[in-house]
Amino acid sequence: MKKILLSGLLLVLLTGCTPRTTEGNTVPHLRVWVGDNADVAWMEQVVRDFRAANPNQAYEIQIGVQNEGDAARVILADVESAADVFTFADDQLPDLLLGGALMPLQEDAADVLNRNTPESVSAASGPDGQLYAYPATADNGYFLFYNRSLITPEDAGSFEGLLARAAQNGRRIAFPMANGWYLYSFFRGAGLEMRLSDDGVTNLCTWNATDAPISGAEVLSALLDIARHPGFVSADSDAFVAGIKDGSIIAGVSGTWNAAVAAQVWGEDYAAAKLPTFRVGERDVQMASFSGFKLVGVNPYSRNAGAALDLANFMTGYEAQLDRFRLRRQGPSNVAALASAEVQTEPAIAAISAQAPYADVQRVGSKYWDAAASLGKIIASGNPEQLPLQTLLDNAVAGITAPAGQ
Amino acid sequence: MSRLHPAKEGAFLAFWRMLRRSLLWGADSILHGHWIKGLLLFSAQAALLSGIILTFPSLMKLPSLGTVPAERIWDPITRRNVWNDYDNSFLILLFGVTGIALIILFVVLCLRRGKASRPPSSLREDAARLLGPDFHKTMLLLPVTGVVLVMVIPLAVMILIAFTNYDRAHLVPTNLLSWISLSNFKQLTDLASGGAFAYAFPRVLGWTLTWAVTATLSCYIGGTLLAMLINRRSTRWKPFWRTCFMAAMAVPQFVSLLLMRNLFADVGIVNTLLKGWGVTDWLYRIGAIPTAGHIPFLTHPGWARGMILAINLWVGIPWQMLVATGVLLNIPRELTEAARIDGAGALQVFRRITLPYLLHITGPSLISGMVTNINNFNVIWLLTRDIYVTTDQQMAAAGATEVDLLVTWLYRLTQDQSNYKMASVIGILVFAVCSAITLTAFTRLTRDGKEAAFR
Repeated sequence: MKKILLSGLLLVLLTGCTPRTTEGNTVPHLRVWVGDNADVAWMEQVVRDFRAANPNQAYEIQIGVQNEGDAARVILADVESAADVFTFADDQLPDLLLGGALMPLQEDAADVLNRNTPESVSAASGPDGQLYAYPATADNGYFLFYNRSLITPEDAGSFEGLLARAAQNGRRIAFPMANGWYLYSFFRGAGLEMRLSDDGVTNLCTWNATDAPISGAEVLSALLDIARHPGFVSADSDAFVAGIKDGSIIAGVSGTWNAAVAAQVWGEDYAAAKLPTFRVGERDVQMASFSGFKLVGVNPYSRNAGAALDLANFMTGYEAQLDRFRLRRQGPSNVAALASAEVQTEPAIAAISAQAPYADVQRVGSKYWDAAASLGKIIASGNPEQLPLQTLLDNAVAGITAPAGQ
Repeated sequence: MSRLHPAKEGAFLAFWRMLRRSLLWGADSILHGHWIKGLLLFSAQAALLSGIILTFPSLMKLPSLGTVPAERIWDPITRRNVWNDYDNSFLILLFGVTGIALIILFVVLCLRRGKASRPPSSLREDAARLLGPDFHKTMLLLPVTGVVLVMVIPLAVMILIAFTNYDRAHLVPTNLLSWISLSNFKQLTDLASGGAFAYAFPRVLGWTLTWAVTATLSCYIGGTLLAMLINRRSTRWKPFWRTCFMAAMAVPQFVSLLLMRNLFADVGIVNTLLKGWGVTDWLYRIGAIPTAGHIPFLTHPGWARGMILAINLWVGIPWQMLVATGVLLNIPRELTEAARIDGAGALQVFRRITLPYLLHITGPSLISGMVTNINNFNVIWLLTRDIYVTTDQQMAAAGATEVDLLVTWLYRLTQDQSNYKMASVIGILVFAVCSAITLTAFTRLTRDGKEAAFR
């Protein structure tokens, strides 16, 4: 009987306490996520160069594709098993920090700080001022496109000029009003604030301010005037492209992703510029914007964080960014690469540079988007229920600033 | 070790035997000489016990959901991160629940073994039994294990999340979760609080139920009428017509829905055509549409709801037609012919014979169709994702829209806002609604009895 008991216990011990395997390999295994299938060829080139630059160290590198706009969601679903190195759009940095999914830069932080534009560096920094990612591109913002045959550069300087010219020609100026990312530009331009507060989760928003030099209601009233103008159409990306193709839209606000279509349809007449001013009461206000950067982050749960940092550093260096521009027309954040002649001749990049002084790094909590889109849609449809402007703004601000779990 | 004589067994020995059976699973078998079975039983017990031992630390941490936050130290010499032995609240939940399940299983098995009074059977006898009279147990073992592992345990974990603070500000493993009892439920149901969730919930629930009833009934009626039309004696080329509608069903739903979404987009083909013909301007002039230049098929609350219901007919009717055709072909012809001889008109035959027969056969599928529609993610999501923006600011503040079903709202909350706790609460309520409908409807169906339903 005792023997049986003992053997039973032994079995329990054997199955229960198998020792865990320990990490003993010297060849670091790295998984890298790039943003698009079209980036894979570029990344393969980077990996070849990376190996050539480190002849004394072997690496096992596996390339995967994960859309940059969606990277945080996928990574935060399971940080511990996410990729070692990943590309993401800079608006997700606060979320990734909240989820503890970004490794602060170590030895190369000072170099990264010096070689990239100040805007891209601040986009890659956390609230503590430390760098948490490597800037990779700097062209993810929006700007104005217009058809030079119908609009003079002078008209393109103000929304009023654009709208008047469009109405005169029976055409439209497009702006994605029902989208918080773009709607921000008007309110921010007028000096009102909307950003992530210091807790890293909720938003701070003064769009309903009544005591500001330009009150929220004044901005909203100006926006309703724009939306009701016969020369205006609120158009999302699809509608913008459709309008350019059928000729109904002669100018609009969008980003590099639609530049190719505009350049193709308008040909020689394709022009890009900074965002226009718009009229609030008696004042002309320059529209602000969100800048946009693609960043490369390193997972702190990576087993080979050091090697991952090295690879991330290499894939955002001067050579890699210039290669990226040549292969994918993506604008560099590297100061030297940005200054090169071939980059400077790209109209979209020139327009983004012109808009840069009025652009903010995007630091926004998740509660902003639905509430802002809703306000934008009300503006775009001309406030059909004739609600008091202050009520609209108060509702929007209540939604934007609500705590994360509500 | 000699065998014990039954006559010498006192009360103590009987107790000892019961204890031995229930706590040392293989012992009796081995005493009876069934060595292999005894060892198998012992290893099963050992596996179960080791499972319990492995999950025990998590079980102990379940009340607090962990106390050790994750901490990382960078080692500049090895260039690796050194992590402390941190608690992962989500894993504590998962393993804690698994541990509870294992303990329940263990106790139940121990009690069952203790009750058994027959001498243990041999492995050969067991095999004969499991392949003979108890064959259902053999066949059900794998699916039941699968259901417990991939359904019951994760479901229990998901339900428990509704009582935690698992949201964007508390993401594992970097943060620890904690229990917050019923406050998530209060946020959703406390209408007096004026919160966005309490505002959105009754509206989303209302549309979910409206949608489920309307979509189910419209497809049911439409499909049945279509089947009857095709089944009429005077209809020619019956197989051809059926094939036509079958083709609509054979195309994967997401293909046909995305196609519809593009057709009816604000800048889609339908809008372009109608605008070209002047219909759009005319509608705008008479005030039928709020937007100049396009009909807001999928972007205005009223239009979008109507369009969703209409497009759903396209994907739902062919399927119902197929079901109804099968049932209609099975109606005994004597019944209808006798009715006609008695002088009943077509309408009377339909009301007195066809409809009751149909309802009797397809009643249960009508209910399951309704429950499916409550969770009909595809139609709503594929048609309105990214293009529908609500102008109801309080709905927007809760991350919901007028066209959202509870299930799409839940999806938005997890995917866009990492609000797992509220998503879990909504999931529980969806389950409650579905089970309430199913239970009431099935009870009524069975209570009426088969004779009553088909007079």
